[in-house]
This record gives sequence, structure tokens and C-alpha cells, in this order.
Amino acid sequence: MQIFRAMQISASGLTAERFRLDLIANNIANVHTTRTEQGGPYRRRSAVFAESLQEARRGVGLPGQVGGGVRVAAVSVDRTEPRLVFEPEHPDADADGYAAYPNINIVQEMVDMITATRAYEANVTALNASKSMFLKALEIGRG
Amino acid sequence: MITGLWSDEAFLSLHKGLDAAAERQRVAAHNLANVNTPDFKRSEVSFEERLQGSLAGVGRLPLAVTHPRHIGRQAVLAEVRHQVRRDYSSSMRSDGNNVDIDREMAAMAANQLKYNAMTQLVNEKYGLLRYVIHEGRR
Repeated sequence: MQIFRAMQISASGLTAERFRLDLIANNIANVHTTRTEQGGPYRRRSAVFAESLQEARRGVGLPGQVGGGVRVAAVSVDRTEPRLVFEPEHPDADADGYAAYPNINIVQEMVDMITATRAYEANVTALNASKSMFLKALEIGRG
Repeated sequence: MITGLWSDEAFLSLHKGLDAAAERQRVAAHNLANVNTPDFKRSEVSFEERLQGSLAGVGRLPLAVTHPRHIGRQAVLAEVRHQVRRDYSSSMRSDGNNVDIDREMAAMAANQLKYNAMTQLVNEKYGLLRYVIHEGRR
């Protein structure tokens, strides 16, 4: 329904940030993964967000399109070189004795995690604000 | 005239104000949802200045005009609409996003209070009508 669009927008933000958190958790969990189905070490993944637009209802807001929240446009896979660690006893080590580890910077993951958490909280606040506004509108005429 | 009860300036302004506040909430939610979207530009709702412009003409006789772009034509209250604008003028971060989360939060809190106040005013107006309808008994 039209009046609940603000809540749907916040919900799309919650979904997107939660998806980002999933990816970050996956990156942290795989910080030492040296073998994957595609071969080679795990590669860091990150979400690419894009604004999602909806067709405007006649006579409301901008002509044409209005904001409809956010969506995950793509998951980008890190292409940087893996981190080489000298471990001759490692089963995945190459001929020179170097094992390839994912090039994941745990500090960066933590910072991304905090950013995603804060953005999630901001969306929760917006959702609660919308909810209380709609509840207030229900009071019209109760007198 | 009974229609005057429901379409006086106060009711109309409140009605439009509530619409604008609901839209502003939607826009704030959209800005906040896109706080991590690269190249996203924030939107904002302008309403109060438009309302002010039309209220200045209330009670005054308008000049007769034959074209909507003639000088002296007052914006009629019933035609006032909020407008959503996108702010392309600034960039907050290196990824081109210009959502300032503090600003959005503050605007949202203010907007919520405004909405609640307007709801209360609508209630008061209806209460007065009810009082008159009940011949002042309640």
C-alpha cells in the first residue's frame, strides 16, 4: 500500500545491510581458507548497492520515478593477488613452499561491519519513526 | 455553507502539511536506506515556503489574470503541493554519496514531531466541530 512505502523502503535498507553483514561474516570466517570449489584460495566478496526506483503514482512526488529504497546490484569478487605465506608442510603449498591465503584485511572487515551495523540501526530508527507516524494518523478523529 | 467546514484554510493547510510530512518521512527513509550506495544523491522535500507563499494571499482579492504566468497571480492554497528535489550539489564521501546521517536523523525527528503536532491539530478541529454539533453539551 502507498502509505506503507516508507516502511518498505526501510525494510529494503535492512535487507541490504543484513546481506552485507552476511558477506562480511563469510569473509572473516574464510580468512584462512586455501581451497575452494573454483580452485585457489577464497576470494573476498563485497556487496554493491544500487538505488532502486519505482514508477510514481500519478500526481505524487517527482514526475516519473520516485525512490523505492536500495537493492543489492551485484556481489563483487576481489581480484587482488592472494597473500603468500611460506609453509612448506601445507598440503596446498606450491613448489616453492608458499601457501596462498585469501587477501583479507581483518581490520577492513571490522570497519565495514561497524558501518553496516550503524546503517542497519539507522534504518531501524527510520522504520520506527514511520510506524509511530502511521499510528498517530490512526488517532485522527478519535478525539 | 457546510463545505466551508471542511475546506477552510486551516483544514486545507493541515491536510497538505500531513501529506508533505508523510512524503518527507518516505524521502528520509529512502536517503537512509541508501547511505552506503555509491553515487547516490539525497532528495529533500520543500513545502513550507510554498505554503507560506500561498497563505500570504489568503483574504486578499487576487488580481484578474488571463494566463497562469501573469504577474500578480496568487498561488491558490488548494494547488500547493510539496515537491521532491534531488540535491546534486554536494558530495559527502569519495564515492559520491552525499547522505549525512546526522542531518537525516535530525530532520526525521523534527518531521515526526511536526506530523504529531499536525495530527493533534486536526483532532482539535474535529473536536470543535463535534462540540458545535452536540450544541455545546460535551
